[in-house]
Amino acid sequence: MPIVTVASPKGGAGKSTASIILATELAHAGAEVTILDCDPNRSISIWADRGTLPPRINVRSDVGESEIVKTLKQQDADGRVVIVDLEGVASRLVSRAISQADLVLTPMRATTLDATIGVRALALIEEEEEALGRAIRHAVVFTMTRAIKSKQHTAIEKSLRGQGVDIITPPLMERAAFSALFEFGGDLRTMPVQGKMEPAAENASAFAQAVYNRLVGKGL
Amino acid sequence: MSDKPTFSIDLDSLKTRRKDTTPESQGRVDAAGEQHGFVNREPNRKRGRQPSPRVGQVHAKVMPNVADEIADEAKRRGVQQGVIIEEAWVLYKNR
Repeated sequence: MPIVTVASPKGGAGKSTASIILATELAHAGAEVTILDCDPNRSISIWADRGTLPPRINVRSDVGESEIVKTLKQQDADGRVVIVDLEGVASRLVSRAISQADLVLTPMRATTLDATIGVRALALIEEEEEALGRAIRHAVVFTMTRAIKSKQHTAIEKSLRGQGVDIITPPLMERAAFSALFEFGGDLRTMPVQGKMEPAAENASAFAQAVYNRLVGKGL
Repeated sequence: MSDKPTFSIDLDSLKTRRKDTTPESQGRVDAAGEQHGFVNREPNRKRGRQPSPRVGQVHAKVMPNVADEIADEAKRRGVQQGVIIEEAWVLYKNR
């Protein structure tokens, strides 16, 4: 059971949106997916309550720092993916969820502030790798990006790549359909038309495929 | 919008990988986290005795001799002091 921990100490970086897009696209492609909603703001639960959960997805809420390791162990099964959505805060819950991850995904808006705070998660991963004596795969995904890349985005990406950080392409673009997931629940296929649906769906699918490739260690 | 997935998932490739969940390793993880400011941020549980769902509480202050007499009587009968107050209240209502 690959565990994908979606972590950044920065709030508003797009963690919950990235978690839902990843979950719904992987489920659509045939995987059983469990999302652990570890954010006290309960963004994932709000999404789950808005509409019918897509097939092959289940959600568990209110998982705290004392239960996270045990809960992840209980979810342990081949052929499924567990996605851990965390609060945008530097907490022990975050460090414990990272310790159990097969892949840590750090969503980051292409701004200096997001990058500066997001990098704290990358530093923690390095430290945990040392503490646990195993490599923890991690990657950054830029979120809410525009069609034309800003200078700031280019500079941050260059700097991260220069430090050997894995950056997922494509980034998650700013799309009305992505934010509407929290209004309608479900997935991109079940919601009423919101802006340009076709490019949004292509973006979501390509992002999920890039994550899947990392989970199975192919096409990198 | 097409409903067909643009990629397929090989379920056999999604394998469980063993993770270290021993208390020792978690201690090391917590220590590493604390070095980077990832500390316990869960709200502390309220200190002190939790309110009982079964009984209520009065906040009566009485003169010391009355307090002593209620305490002595409760001790003699082997009941809580609240039982004496409940009986006194019944007598008051039926006066």
